[in-house]
Amino acid sequence: MECSFGLTGKDFVLLAADTSAGRSIIQMKDDENKIKALGPHIAMAYGGEAGDTNNFADFVDRNLRLYQIRNHTPLLPAAASAWIRRSLAESLRSRHPYSVNLMLAGFDITDSTSHLYWIDYLGTKAIVPYAAHGLGQYLALSTMDKWWTEGVDKREGIEILKKCVDEVGKRSTLKFKFNCILIDASGIHHINLDSSDPIAEMEQAGKAAEVINPNPPLDVGITA
Amino acid sequence: MNAVLQSLQPPARHTNEDEEDAWGYGNLDQRGGVRGMMVPRVPDPAAFLNLHTDSISSNPAAKIKLAHGTTTLAFRFKGGIIVAVDSRATAGSYIASGTVKKVIEINPYLLGTMAGGAADCQYWETYLGMQCRLHELRNKERISVAAASKILSNIVYQYKGMGLSMGTMICGWDKTGPALFYVDSDGSRLKGDLFSVGSGSTFAYGVLDQGYSYDLSDEEAQELGRRSIIAAGHRDAFSGNTCNLFHVRENGWEFIANYDVNELWYEYEAKKKAGASQAQAQKDEGMAVE
Amino acid sequence: MEYNGGSVVAMIGKDCVAIASDLRLGQQSVGVAMNFEKVFPVNDKLYYGLPGLATDVYTLREQLRFRVNMYRMKEEREITPKTFTHLLSSTLYEKRFGPYFLEPVVAGLTTPTELEPKPKPFISTMDTIGCITTPKDFAVAGTAQDKLYGMAEGLWEPDLEPEDLFETISQTLLNAVDRDALSGWGAIVHVITHDKVITRQLRSRMD
Repeated sequence: MECSFGLTGKDFVLLAADTSAGRSIIQMKDDENKIKALGPHIAMAYGGEAGDTNNFADFVDRNLRLYQIRNHTPLLPAAASAWIRRSLAESLRSRHPYSVNLMLAGFDITDSTSHLYWIDYLGTKAIVPYAAHGLGQYLALSTMDKWWTEGVDKREGIEILKKCVDEVGKRSTLKFKFNCILIDASGIHHINLDSSDPIAEMEQAGKAAEVINPNPPLDVGITA
Repeated sequence: MNAVLQSLQPPARHTNEDEEDAWGYGNLDQRGGVRGMMVPRVPDPAAFLNLHTDSISSNPAAKIKLAHGTTTLAFRFKGGIIVAVDSRATAGSYIASGTVKKVIEINPYLLGTMAGGAADCQYWETYLGMQCRLHELRNKERISVAAASKILSNIVYQYKGMGLSMGTMICGWDKTGPALFYVDSDGSRLKGDLFSVGSGSTFAYGVLDQGYSYDLSDEEAQELGRRSIIAAGHRDAFSGNTCNLFHVRENGWEFIANYDVNELWYEYEAKKKAGASQAQAQKDEGMAVE
Repeated sequence: MEYNGGSVVAMIGKDCVAIASDLRLGQQSVGVAMNFEKVFPVNDKLYYGLPGLATDVYTLREQLRFRVNMYRMKEEREITPKTFTHLLSSTLYEKRFGPYFLEPVVAGLTTPTELEPKPKPFISTMDTIGCITTPKDFAVAGTAQDKLYGMAEGLWEPDLEPEDLFETISQTLLNAVDRDALSGWGAIVHVITHDKVITRQLRSRMD
């Protein structure tokens, strides 16, 4: 069973995904990263059938990269969500559908808004302020309902996320570890949820906490 | 195998009606089953039931839909026990009723909650009330919650595999203080401090766990129970309509009130909005001072 | 159909039509979003609703937007409700052997022309593969379909003025979805008249 969370705030988006990977009842790995950065201000947390997940994530990653190379600008979150949704919807009625659930988080630097899209393997897309996939959907959506408010700041956002992580830890027979990122105007940053003040730690780490942009802007390309 | 078992059965008792009544334990027969309870005459009663009803929930296409879907919760704290339930009954996606009483008042000191088959819970918990009264008459003292829950657990265990569907919490106050037991139709019987049962239970847990402490005041505890049911009523399609809240204290249970889930939800949302804009104003003020 | 939940209703009034939907997007019993509109405009006199599987709501909506835009460019005029219904129907039938899990409802007013100086308000509905029906009173679809029928049969009357039609369709929708576990979580109503469209969000039960 997998579990991921997403949460928007005033000037940031948070994504958290569990880090387990295995087959049937055996856990083969407890530090698998299931969050992928797709651009300077956009990332997705994904889960679902083994094999499909990584393959689809790579497919999305490379296509968004291609767009960036062709157009010298990254795809904005809203457009990326539409493209990803359509890919899944088309795959659904193909001979070999991807079964991948994902959450797309992005920060639109053109108008400084945070975006979160909940997308399932059917290509269902919901535009929501906070969301969860897997076990978290049953256990922690109500937790977010209670504590999330419009315009929460980064520290409050992390506190809510910690409550959710605590809740699945409490109620699930599985033991989850979580991997977390924060996206704001300055890019994508790692968040250490075990820290007593993850935001301070992130700010202190500065560059070290930055998730390396997989798709850096190109210097070459335009020739007169 | 059956032939061997049969040969080991005690010979049938030939008694007159009066003697039989005197021998009886309530209306349980020798094996603890209720006399006169009919079971379909088929090799596998559970499979038969499952074919025609959705009693075991594994056959949603069944023609006969029994009332299902629930959120119930109960927790122990320093002021006693809080019991909160919703009031929705659904048959498929149809909301059959929004005014179901899911707390069964077994006697002035005992409450039972209802999740799963509505009729199963109602019947057996009422029956449990009978047994508890008989215990009082026989022993000149009130039955303990542990014993009461065990009677229920033993009864449903007799019917295991025959399609009974219930998940219930038996809550009360006895010599040992407040006591809470979870009993279900699998035969599980768990003593605990905090339980939630039903389709919306996970959502209730999500609020309950994060707000729970044994040292809650009466008001805080009641609010937590209420808030958890609202949370579940909101997210779970098969829970909602109204919330019934009970508080069990030393001198027995008290019905606190019936709340409309929808009205309370809008109230909580309004409070959240007000709180957020206030916090925002404070932050802005803080910045201005800086 | 039952996977995401949701319902749409449309009604005919006097020189006006109304179409309304709930706002729930669920994943079976879990509510996921309460801002999922199922009614979309084609132009300011024609709206359609797509209750059913949410992924197909997006897919078909995108497909129709493309086709209506192509029609608009080729014909240099707006599509009429009747033509749109047939466009929608044939779009659905294209997927005869792997249908979209949707039951569309169309509601619109036809602009008077010389050929048709007094067109009647128009509603239509179809099944998942595009069989059209054009009721003279109201059309319902979605998980609360049977409950909507019950309410609409009781409340609807002919020749309602826009404000009365709004009240009728609102009460029909709200009371029907209150008996349906998979619909609700907010509602939106559009009343289409010749000179404007009145759109209102309803305060509905959130459980």
